[in-house]
Amino acid sequence: MLARVANNLFWMGRYIERSEHIARYLRVNYFSSLDAPNQLSQSRQFVLRSMLTMVGSPIDDESVLLNEEEVLYKIGLDPNYPSSIINNVRNSRENANSARDLISTELYESINKFFHFISNYDAQVYTKNGLHDFTLNVTEMSSILRGKVRSTLMHDEIYAIIMMGGNIERATQIIRIINAKFIDAQKAQGSYGDKFKNSFEWTTLLKCTESYDMMRRFYKKTPNSITTLEFLILNPDCPRSIMNSLNQVYKHIKILDHGKRPDKDSTAFLVGKVRADYEFKSIAEIENDIQSIINKTLDRLYEISQKMEKEFFSY
Amino acid sequence: MENLKNQIFSSYKRNPVLYDEIYDKKGQVKEVYSKLFNLYGEHSISDFVNLNEKAKASFFNQGITFQVYDKKKTKEKIFPFDLFPRIIPPEEWAIIESGAIQRSRALNLFLWDIYHDKKIIRQKVVPMELISSSTNYLDQMTNIDPPGGIYNHISGTDVIKHNDGQYYVLEDNIRCPSGVSYVICNRTALKRALFGVFNHYKTYSVTNYAENLLDLLETVKPNGVDAPNVVVITPGMYNSAFYEHSYLAKTMGVELVEGRDLFVENDFVYMKTIQGPQKVDIIYRRIDDAFIDPLEFRPDSTLGVPGLFAAYKKGNVTLANAPGTGVADDKAIYTYMPEIIRYYLNEEPILNNVHTYHCSRPKELKYVLEHIRELVIKPVDEAGGYGISIGNRLSSKEVERVKAEVQSNPRKYVAQPILSLSVHPTYIDKNESFEQRHVDLRTFTVLGKDKEFVLKGGLTRVALKKGNLIVNSSQGGGSKDTWVLKPQ
Repeated sequence: MLARVANNLFWMGRYIERSEHIARYLRVNYFSSLDAPNQLSQSRQFVLRSMLTMVGSPIDDESVLLNEEEVLYKIGLDPNYPSSIINNVRNSRENANSARDLISTELYESINKFFHFISNYDAQVYTKNGLHDFTLNVTEMSSILRGKVRSTLMHDEIYAIIMMGGNIERATQIIRIINAKFIDAQKAQGSYGDKFKNSFEWTTLLKCTESYDMMRRFYKKTPNSITTLEFLILNPDCPRSIMNSLNQVYKHIKILDHGKRPDKDSTAFLVGKVRADYEFKSIAEIENDIQSIINKTLDRLYEISQKMEKEFFSY
Repeated sequence: MENLKNQIFSSYKRNPVLYDEIYDKKGQVKEVYSKLFNLYGEHSISDFVNLNEKAKASFFNQGITFQVYDKKKTKEKIFPFDLFPRIIPPEEWAIIESGAIQRSRALNLFLWDIYHDKKIIRQKVVPMELISSSTNYLDQMTNIDPPGGIYNHISGTDVIKHNDGQYYVLEDNIRCPSGVSYVICNRTALKRALFGVFNHYKTYSVTNYAENLLDLLETVKPNGVDAPNVVVITPGMYNSAFYEHSYLAKTMGVELVEGRDLFVENDFVYMKTIQGPQKVDIIYRRIDDAFIDPLEFRPDSTLGVPGLFAAYKKGNVTLANAPGTGVADDKAIYTYMPEIIRYYLNEEPILNNVHTYHCSRPKELKYVLEHIRELVIKPVDEAGGYGISIGNRLSSKEVERVKAEVQSNPRKYVAQPILSLSVHPTYIDKNESFEQRHVDLRTFTVLGKDKEFVLKGGLTRVALKKGNLIVNSSQGGGSKDTWVLKPQ
C-alpha cells in the first residue's frame, strides 16, 4: 500500500470516529441537562461551555454570554470552523476519495451518502429543532460505516490502518470527553449538596460514551467518579475504554509488523509499552490526580500517532 | 390502460431530414428496436420521471460526479445519462470492431515508422511538414523501441452514422482517451432501473474491460521482468476524470498512484509504500506527455516523476500510452488515414474517413474560404470539442472572424463537410418527453503484443441541446448505454 494513501486511510478512520463522538456529546449533554437535578447542570450557559470545551475551543471568561443557536451551528454545520461535524465528515470523504480504488464500493458509497446527508441538512432546522435528529443520524451513519469497514474490507493492512486510526481517535475522544465532564463535575460541586464524587455529571459522562447501560450491569450501583473512571479508562471489556482501544491498536499494529518482534524504535514497541502501562494500573493510582492521567493519556496517544507517521506515512 | 400505451413516445417529433436510429424512412419502428419500443411504451410518463430520478440518485450516491465551481461553493453534478439504450446489431458491430482494430494497428506502425526510419515520409505518402510542425511530435522518442513495439495501447475511436446510414470515423484518440468507466456505469445504472428489458435481448457484457486491459498491458512488460507490477498514474483527485482512474485501478486490482508516490533511482521506477520502496514495471498513465517528467519536458510540472523518461529510454519501465503518440491523433494526420492504412497493412480501410480539406494547402484553403458555410472548421490540435466552428451556424460577423483566423494560421485548421450525425430518441427532463438528439459512439481498443481487444459496447454520447452536433461532456453532452447484440 502506498504510504500517502495509508496516511489518508488512517485519517479517514479518525475523522469518522471523531464526528460520531462530537455528535453524541452534543445530543447527550443537551438533552440530559433539560431535567438535570441541580440548577447549574440545567443552565444553558453551562452546557454550551461544556460543548465548546469538548471540541477544543473552551471559553474561560465567565462573563461571556453564549448564544445557543450560534454554538450549535458552529459545532455542527459551520464550514468555517475546522472542528465542526460537517468538516470532519468532509475530511473523511476527501480522504476516502483518494483511496477509492482500495476501499470497497459499499464503504465508499456509505461515506458519500453520509456527506450528502450532512451537506444538505438545513441549518435553520438544525439549530431550531433538529439537534436530536441530526446528531442521531450522524451517530447511526458512523455505525454503518464501522460495519462496512469490518464486513466489506479484507482484514489486511488497509483494514489495520483504518482500525488503528479509528481506535487512536476513539481513545483520544473518550479522554477529551472525560476531561470536559471532569471540569463540569468540579464546577457543579456544591449546588444542592452535590459533591464531586457523586456528581450527576458522571452519569452524563457514561451516556456521552454510550457506556451507561454496560456500566450499570457491571457495577450494579449508581456511578460515581471512581467507578466511572475505572470503567472508562481501565476496563478492557468496555468497548469504549482507553484500555480496549489500546488493545485494538496493538492488535492491528501487529498486522502491519507481520508478527515480527518489534524493534525498540518502532510504533509496535511504543504501543505495546503504553498498553502494558494501562493494563497494570489500578484506579487507586488514578483517583487522586485525575487531571494528570488525562494529560498523560493525551500525550501518549499523540506520541503513538507521531511515531506511526514517521514509520509508515512519510513520503 | 390501453390508451397509456406508447404515451411516452406519442409526442416524439421526427425530422425527416435526419437519420433516425430507431425509425425507418417510412416512419416504422425498426425491427431491432421494436421489442424495446413496446417495453418502454408500457411506462407512463410519471413512471418514467420516477425511474429517471432514481437513476440520477444512483450515480450521485456512487459518487460518479464531477465538480462545477460557482461563486459561492462547489457543486457536484452527475454526467447526464439517458435511459433509452442504443442498439448496435451484430453485422454493424463487426464493421466497427474490425475497422477500429485496423486503424489502431495502422497508427501503431505509423508511430514506429516516424520515430525510426520515417519511410512513409521518404516515400512521400505523408508530407514531412505535417510531422515536424506538429506540437505533439516528440524528438526525444526518436529511435526508442517501446516494450513490445506498442505505442498506442489504448485507443478511443469516435465514429458517427451519417444520413447515408454508413459509419464514419470522426477522430482517433490515442493520447489518454477517457470515458470507458462511463460505459460500465451506464450499463449498471440501466440494469438497476430497467432490468426487465435485458431479458429480451442478447447483449454483450461490458464489465470485462479491466481484466483485458491488465492482460494486454502485461504482454508489453519490460525485458527481464517476470511478474510485472502495474500501476495507474493520475493527476490527482481533483482531476475531472479521477473517478475513471480510480475505477480502472480498482477493477484491475492495481495501485492508483500520483507522481509524488513514485521516484526513480538508477533508472528504475519505485513507489513509496508503507513497507518501503517497491519497483514499478508498467505505468498506465493518465497524465499528458508534457507533464510526465519535469526533467525532460515541462520543468514546472508537479504531476510527473523526475527521471521517468530516462528510465523509459533504458527500457526499464513501460508507459501506456507511449509518449509522443499525440502526433498521430492530430486532426491533420487523420486526413491521411486511408493512405496510412494502405501503406502499412496493404488493406483497404474498413471504416470511412470524412473528406478533409487542409487549410495548409493554398488550393484547399481557397475552397474552404469560399464554401465556409457548408463546412466544419476544426483546429488540428485541440481536444474536447474546443475551437470548432460550424459554418451554417455562424453569423456573418463570425464568418469573417473565422476566415481571418484560418488565413492567419492555416496549418492550425482543417475543414470537413458538415456531417449529419444520426439521431436517437432521448428523454428530455424539461419537456418530460422523448426527442431526437444527435449521437456519436466512442469505441475502446486495446493493443498488446500480438493481441488486441475491442470493448463490445462503447460510449454513445448525446448532444443534449436541440440541434447541437457537439457531443463532448465538457460541452453539455450526455450519454447512453450501448448494446452490442450477439449474433442470433
